[in-house]
Amino acid sequence: MAWEHILTEIFLWFGLYSIVAISLNIEYGYAGIPNFGRALAVLMGAIAVGGITNRLLIAMFGISGNFAVASGIVKTEVNEIISSDPYFGIGLIILSIVIAGILGYITGAIFILPSAKLSEDYLAITLLAISEVTFMVSYYHPDIIGGYYGVSTPDVLAFVPGVYRVYIFTLIILFTLVITYLFAEKLLNTPYGRILRAMRENESVVKSYGRDIMVLRVKTVAIGSAIASISGALYSMYTANVIASSFSRVEWTFYPFLMILLGGLGNNRGVLSGVFAFVVAKVMLTTYKYEIKSTLHLPFEAVWLEYVLFGIVAILILYYKPEGLIKEKPIITKPIRTRMKKNVICKTTSARS
Amino acid sequence: MAVIEGAVIYSNLIVLLAMGLTLTYITTSVPNFAQGSFAVFGSYIALTFLRFFNLHPYQSIPLGFIFGGLLGILTYVAILKPLIKKGATIVALMIATLAWDLILLGFLGAYSDYLTYSTGKPAKKYIFTYLDFHIYNISAILIVSTLVILLTLIGLFFLLYKTKFGIALRASMENPDLAEIMGINVEHTRLFSWFLSGALSGMAGCLLPFKQEIVPATGAIIIVSIFAASIVGGLSSIVGALLGGYIVGLSESLVTYALSLIFGTGILVYSKVVSLIILVITLLLIPKGLVSVKWRKVIKWRGSIS
Repeated sequence: MAWEHILTEIFLWFGLYSIVAISLNIEYGYAGIPNFGRALAVLMGAIAVGGITNRLLIAMFGISGNFAVASGIVKTEVNEIISSDPYFGIGLIILSIVIAGILGYITGAIFILPSAKLSEDYLAITLLAISEVTFMVSYYHPDIIGGYYGVSTPDVLAFVPGVYRVYIFTLIILFTLVITYLFAEKLLNTPYGRILRAMRENESVVKSYGRDIMVLRVKTVAIGSAIASISGALYSMYTANVIASSFSRVEWTFYPFLMILLGGLGNNRGVLSGVFAFVVAKVMLTTYKYEIKSTLHLPFEAVWLEYVLFGIVAILILYYKPEGLIKEKPIITKPIRTRMKKNVICKTTSARS
Repeated sequence: MAVIEGAVIYSNLIVLLAMGLTLTYITTSVPNFAQGSFAVFGSYIALTFLRFFNLHPYQSIPLGFIFGGLLGILTYVAILKPLIKKGATIVALMIATLAWDLILLGFLGAYSDYLTYSTGKPAKKYIFTYLDFHIYNISAILIVSTLVILLTLIGLFFLLYKTKFGIALRASMENPDLAEIMGINVEHTRLFSWFLSGALSGMAGCLLPFKQEIVPATGAIIIVSIFAASIVGGLSSIVGALLGGYIVGLSESLVTYALSLIFGTGILVYSKVVSLIILVITLLLIPKGLVSVKWRKVIKWRGSIS
């Protein structure tokens, strides 16, 4: 593969995974909620594109019949419209993202409810179980997103010549990432963001100040899931073919955890660097998997090697560098800064006298 | 009849796995997300001995016990103990077991590729049902799995209640700090619990292919039932795991079967939804599990209503 393909691939996945990793960082890095069911929210994004937007289009064009067949027909019709009318495609992107956000928000709020009061380990178990079962149901059930065979969705960038499609899409994803990043930074520097950190450090203290832990948890997971869901929607629109099996636990729960551990919990810049390091490694591994297999004379597929390697990396980080590449820094707000300056002046003056 | 038989076999296996998970949770207080892969590891041990030494899976149950136990010890010594010593949080330990699950999946997948390549027989997706036989019209797997459970329970009972080591074990499960003061090496009990957890899962793994198709990623699916069973039991006692395992295992098979009579056989693939619903109901009503329920109070309360 030529280098520009590898580079686009890296930036594309960097964008997608960064959005998910930032969402997980809000939940786990800041609020200390170990969301072992991140893949569920990403899957919701796919359902928003493949299940809901597709159905809206089918209803709009009045196509009858089986869902999978109807979405195939709608795909060709909508593609023709988009190729002559770019605004329809752009509108479809925005609509899908909005639906994904809302669906993710609602799902996030609902799926943490049974365990919102419980301790971390119960929370993690329940979230993992819910995510795993939903994954299985949407894989088996043909009426959600086509089940085993998946469902094809319109190419929202049908007006762009095929060669440039991937570049434009990468730009769209990176643009979404910038917005997500700014939103997360802004959100986490509000009093709400600080109460999240307080909750991570000591729940009893937060409780004693009259804040309800359950409400905080539900809100945080809802916001995080909405963001992660947008990433799933973007990915589905990019592939223009939604299939549940591409939203596995390894790819969308474990890898995001690995990335934020690698980058550093609780700070978004660190998370971005972690995602970048991970994505470079992953893209290299997938690009050269046949070369790796033949040069090392592996009697098995290279994907298994990838699993073992990333698993070992995660454990090594936990052991040797639990704070990640970039450490979390205390937030310095304006009042704190002025006070710090005053203190410095006081110290220097007292030292002089 | 066959349905009930299948349900009992399945529950027996879930009980073994849930007991394994609960044991390690009691001593190390970390839920082992790799428990499902422990079972699949056992299945591959049985498959290996079947392919290379022509050993019937029932004969490889002791081997599953030993190799599974070694895997359990490896998990504790190589992954968790160093992290615990460094003072890692519970979430960090959970992520570590999740990573370990992925590593095991990688190894199992690679091994399945290798096995297919070297024996020329399927190893990426296999089943043992064709190896099963009948004893007096009862399928052997029902008898064997029940025997395994009985022997495990009797063994555990003797170990825990009739030996000095068992007393030390129970003491360090109840209150590790106090046990340590009394001169009990808590490290030994932890190691032992991981051995036992792996060993029970290894045995369950040897029998699992008689009940369902095994692929390297089977662990990721079966873990839902294991967690549901353990949480229904309360994650704090072996008896609880036993109860929870039967409740989840039986209802998973029987409820799905009953629903399939109404809605058609297509519904059979959603059996894990039943486990999940039981899990959620338990968390909402009795988050500490069945063993935490004070039955006398419940009876009194019911009496006062009627």
